[in-house]
Amino acid sequence: MQMDPPGEPTWWDITRTYLKIGAIGFGGGYAVVELIQSELVVKRRWLTAQRFQNMIALSEMAPGAFTVNLLAGIAYRLGGMGAMILATAALILPSFVLILVLAGIFLAWQDNMLVQSAMKGLTAGVVGLLIAVVWDLVKRAPTHWCCLVIGLVAFLLELAFSINPIWLILMGGMAGAIKVWAMGFSRKGSTPDLPTR
Amino acid sequence: MLIVYQLAHSFLKVGFFGFGGGFAMIPLMQRMVVHQNNWLSASQFAAAIALGQVTPGPVAISATFIGYKVAGLTGAVVATVAIFTPSLLVMYLIEKFYLKVREKEITQAVLHGILPVVVVLMLQAAISLGRPTVHSFWQILVIVMVAALAITRKVSYGLLVAGSTAVGALMSFWL
Repeated sequence: MQMDPPGEPTWWDITRTYLKIGAIGFGGGYAVVELIQSELVVKRRWLTAQRFQNMIALSEMAPGAFTVNLLAGIAYRLGGMGAMILATAALILPSFVLILVLAGIFLAWQDNMLVQSAMKGLTAGVVGLLIAVVWDLVKRAPTHWCCLVIGLVAFLLELAFSINPIWLILMGGMAGAIKVWAMGFSRKGSTPDLPTR
Repeated sequence: MLIVYQLAHSFLKVGFFGFGGGFAMIPLMQRMVVHQNNWLSASQFAAAIALGQVTPGPVAISATFIGYKVAGLTGAVVATVAIFTPSLLVMYLIEKFYLKVREKEITQAVLHGILPVVVVLMLQAAISLGRPTVHSFWQILVIVMVAALAITRKVSYGLLVAGSTAVGALMSFWL
């Protein structure tokens, strides 16, 4: 731990920094990761680069927004539960206020002709974004027949019965676990004494 | 009061099962908000997602819009707290039981199993969002342009959403 920063950050330090990240973290996702790294790792040295990488791996396992998970996890390490809750609230606050204002404007004007036409463009844009995100996910997915099968089964189940997505997610997770368990089993059976590297 | 409870319940579920990043929450939200509870129309839901993109925070902040539409300021606060609480809880558990989670093979396998499901759900979400709202050829052009720009040029999502909104506004003068 030779790289430990001088002096522990207080809750106020953490909250203030998170408020800043929450206010300027436009773009979302991995673009914000660079911002977080430069603020917390390079500038303030609250954690080492290696720990940061570690936190990224852990954050990807939790549900929900990746950047929120990452920052919440870091805040917990820096100051415990209280710091985590306070800092996350600070992180979300700027967006929360901004979206409330925008929601108020939108709901007041949604019957206006111009706004309705703008909405048509906006909806199309969101559909385009969803397609782009799907594309990214497909590229990141491991190319394995098992993935194809899970996807196909989910598609058919959704099409035929319109099952609640939560059940599909649970089933996908179970299928992934079963696959690894079965492969571990067959590995033990077929090639028992492969030298471990 | 009941509706606030329903909001909390729905968004806790969305938060807890949104594996695979913030966008993975969209199909879950859409199902609960548009199809099950009729809280928002398809195009209002699109607005909620789009406004979530032009604000600096994550996609999940769309919950604030939905909560506000359904039950005012109380609804906004309840929905926001509810959608983020599961993330914090899981991060807390991961930190607490760090060593166990580090045997990552099984965790990784579960996530790899979820990923194809998320892909299917998001395609489904795109279709059910587009079908009732896309009627004209220019909208299809916008979809193609936005998808292409987001994939190839890495243009920021907020900018793309703002651009498509501007195109929509311009089209109202033309038509």
